[in-house]
This record gives sequence, C-alpha cells and structure tokens, in this order.
Amino acid sequence: MSPAAKKTLVVTRFDPDRDEAPRAQRYEIPVQEDWMVLDALNFIKDEVDGTLSHRWSCRMAVCGSCGMMVNGEPRLTCKDSLRQYGDTISVAPLANFPVVRDLVIEMDGFMQKLESVKPWILRAKELAVEEGPMRQSPAELEEFKQFSMCINCMLCYAACPVVSNEPDFLGPAAIALGHRYNVDSRDEGAGVRNEIFRAEGTVFSCSYANECSEVCPKHVDPAAAVNQAKFNAVIDWATGLVLPRGGAK
Amino acid sequence: MRHLLLRLEPLIWLLFGQGILIGTILLTGWLLVVGVLAPLGLVPEGALAFERAHRLAAHPIGRLLLLALIALPLWKGAHHLRALAIDFGGHSRDPAVATLLYLLALGGSVMAVLAVSRL
Amino acid sequence: MTRPAHPHAMQPRRPGRTRTAPPALPDRFPFAGRYLAYTLFDLTGLLYLAVGFLVLRAVWALGNGPEAWQALREQFANPLYVTFHVLALVSVCFVAVRFFRLFPKAQPPRIGPAKPPPGPVIHVMLYVVWLGVTLVMVTILAGGLF
Repeated sequence: MSPAAKKTLVVTRFDPDRDEAPRAQRYEIPVQEDWMVLDALNFIKDEVDGTLSHRWSCRMAVCGSCGMMVNGEPRLTCKDSLRQYGDTISVAPLANFPVVRDLVIEMDGFMQKLESVKPWILRAKELAVEEGPMRQSPAELEEFKQFSMCINCMLCYAACPVVSNEPDFLGPAAIALGHRYNVDSRDEGAGVRNEIFRAEGTVFSCSYANECSEVCPKHVDPAAAVNQAKFNAVIDWATGLVLPRGGAK
Repeated sequence: MRHLLLRLEPLIWLLFGQGILIGTILLTGWLLVVGVLAPLGLVPEGALAFERAHRLAAHPIGRLLLLALIALPLWKGAHHLRALAIDFGGHSRDPAVATLLYLLALGGSVMAVLAVSRL
Repeated sequence: MTRPAHPHAMQPRRPGRTRTAPPALPDRFPFAGRYLAYTLFDLTGLLYLAVGFLVLRAVWALGNGPEAWQALREQFANPLYVTFHVLALVSVCFVAVRFFRLFPKAQPPRIGPAKPPPGPVIHVMLYVVWLGVTLVMVTILAGGLF
C-alpha cells in the first residue's frame, strides 16, 4: 500500500481567552485521495489538535454549517476536494464576520438580518380553515423556487464587498429570502418588505459585484434576487406615491 | 442627511440604472465619432461642421438625446464613485460624500437642461 | 494577510458572551481575482463623470457659436483628449458587457402576466440594440443621414 500523501493546512486560530488577534497555525498531515477539506480538519481535531474548533454537520452540502475561506475563497469545506489544491492550503473563518473562536464565526448578526425581512407568508387577512388550502400552480412555484433553495451557508456574505463595508446592508441571502416571499403568489406582504428593503436595509447599496452568485453552492443566484428586488422596490415606491397601499400591513 | 438620502435612494438608483443602460448604449456612437474618428480626420469634413451639428442638436430629438448623453453618465458616475468610496473604507463619511457627488450630478443635469435649451 | 472589514460588519445587535475577533475583508479584495473587474467597474464612474461634463462642454460650445465650436473641435484633436476618449470608449464597452450579463436576470422585461423571454434571448437582444443604436448614431454623426 502506498504511503498516504501529505498536505499542510495553514489554519487560522483564535482563542479569545489567550490571543490578542487571530494567528496562523500549520499542520502537516497525511491525507487520503478522496478527502474533502472538512475531512482534513476533522483529522486534525481528532488526531493532532483537539482544541481546533470548527462547525460542520451533514457532510453533504445541505446544512450550510461548514462554510470557511479556503485559499481565500468562501467554500463549503464538505464538498471541497483536497485534490484541487496544492500541497499547502490555507483555511480561515468566513470573511466579513466577527470570529468567536478559530473557524467559528458569530452568526447572530446574520440571523437578525434574516428575521428582519419577515420570511413567512404575510396575508392582509388570514384564510379560514374552511376556505381550504392556498392553491399554487407549477408556474407560480417556478417564480420563487430557485430563491427558496438557500441553505444559509453565508458564503455570499463572506464574498460581498458591500457587506464588508456597510453594516446596515441586509446582504444577499436575506434580500433573496425576502424577495422569495415577495414573489410567492400566496404572499401579500410585498409592500411591507419593500419598505424594509428601501429603509435601513438599503437594498440599493448592492453594487453589482455578483460575487454572491459566483460563490453560492446551491445556485440560488442571490444577485438576481437582489437586483429584481431593487427594481420591484422602485416600482412599489413609485406606485405608492400615487396609489394607496393594499396587502398585509 | 442620511435619512434624506435613504428616501431619495429609489430615484437615484433608477437614474443610475438607466445611466448604465441607456447612457452606455447612446455614448458609444458619440465617443466613437466625436471623440475619436473626427479628431483623427476619419470623418467627412462637413459632417460635424457648425451648421450641421447645430441643426441636428437643436432638433427636439437631438436636444433630448444630448440631455441623456450628459445627465445619465453623470448619475452613473456619481453613484459608482460613491460605492467606490464606501468600498475603500469611507462608510462613516458616506452621507457627506454621497451628497457632494449627487449635487455634482444634479448640477450637471441642470446645466444640461440650460445647455440644450439655448441651442 | 487579512485586512479589517468595517468594525461593525455582520455585528449582532447585542454582543455575544465572549470577545470576538473583528471581521476581516476577503483576501482578494479589492484588486485580485474577480474583485479586480468589480473595482474597475466602479472606477469607470470617474470616466463617466468626465465624459458627461465633456459632452456638456461640447453642447455649451455649440450654443456659443461657430468659433467656440471650432475651438472645441481643435481641442478634441489634442492627443490627450483622443486618448481619453479611447479610454472612455473601452470603459463603456466594459460596462456594457458586464451589465448586459447581469440585466437578463436582474430586470427581465415583463408585460403584464406574460413570461419574459429566456435570459440568453434578452442578452442577445441587448447587444443587437446596442450595435443598432451605435450604427445609427455613427451614421448620423459622420454625415451619412440627415
């Protein structure tokens, strides 16, 4: 049996109780040919340095837990094969997020942005049970289905230059989620969400970098959602100047 | 100031968006002929002579086109430079920078209306 | 080497229970990888502002009379101005290509409930419109029409 290949992972470490600032730590480890970056990190934690902290769960790119910067690019480490990299790979926590420890970032800010777009069906008047289910055609589903595939992995936030520099910006995933509900035929809350988009959420801050869509592992295309949301928010603003607003309040 | 900017944002973005689309589509011909081919002598002599240029420009459609050729690039430019300033760490100064840039674009747009009216 | 992002980027409303390290910018921002094209896209704003004011100057000169117009044309013949206009032309093309790629997914044209045409069709239509308008403008400005 041939000896296992070796790779060096340069991992960002940060212990808030000991470190002033994040530092790099090198681990040279044997790797298997079919490993993902996450497998290498788990090997380090299990066999080399049990103090390494990182988030992961499903190992199949559906939970969105294992997002990290691999060689400077935001990636899901569970689906990022080691084979595509050279002998030295850098692994760092997601950019643009405060770092709690090692590769674990502070997620609460992201969760608050998601909540702020009211990501649920808003109705002007709730349907009574007797009125039966809300019916939706396949064509109506197609309108928003792509934008509902987001796994909240936050790679788009790590890539977005506006998120880096404007703390109030809602960000790609939150705007895409709000837009998903705005174009859902069952929803009547577009007016409310468009006001949120126009206000502090400042959807117009998006400056067409398209990085969010480049890095999205689920092909949600948040850039499309954000820019459609901008357009709809303008139409909503313009019509709101002359017509009274209906829908959910 | 920040509150006013937020309220005007949809309109500014609309001007910026059209600045990119319509402004870009219109500018190509102007830049090619007036900016490059004519100065290099690659355009027939009388094409941009004063009489012809003035006749074309003073036509209602000409005036509208020239208005678009001036104003739309200004709004596009202002909005992009604002984004650039923020990208390079200027978020705290954004209300001031944005106001300056948009006033520049507004001023230029007003001058554009004056310029095409006096043709 | 990481550089700091805005200190409040992705900050929660209330701080967590432990001290956090401040957010860092993506390594490649602003001049490496795909970010270079993005930064250049923003930088075209400078050229567009300049072009807008130059067109304004041209129209103002046209309104001032034949001598002013001739003086402007002589100025535009200066190699520096020609170089600037070539650069502006390149940046306009760059903006067009980048924006046309985004437009079909950002603003699919819609008439009532009818579905918009597929993205690639809109993409091609934009190029057709751009080339068509440019051709018409070049023909008119170069004396071929009217």
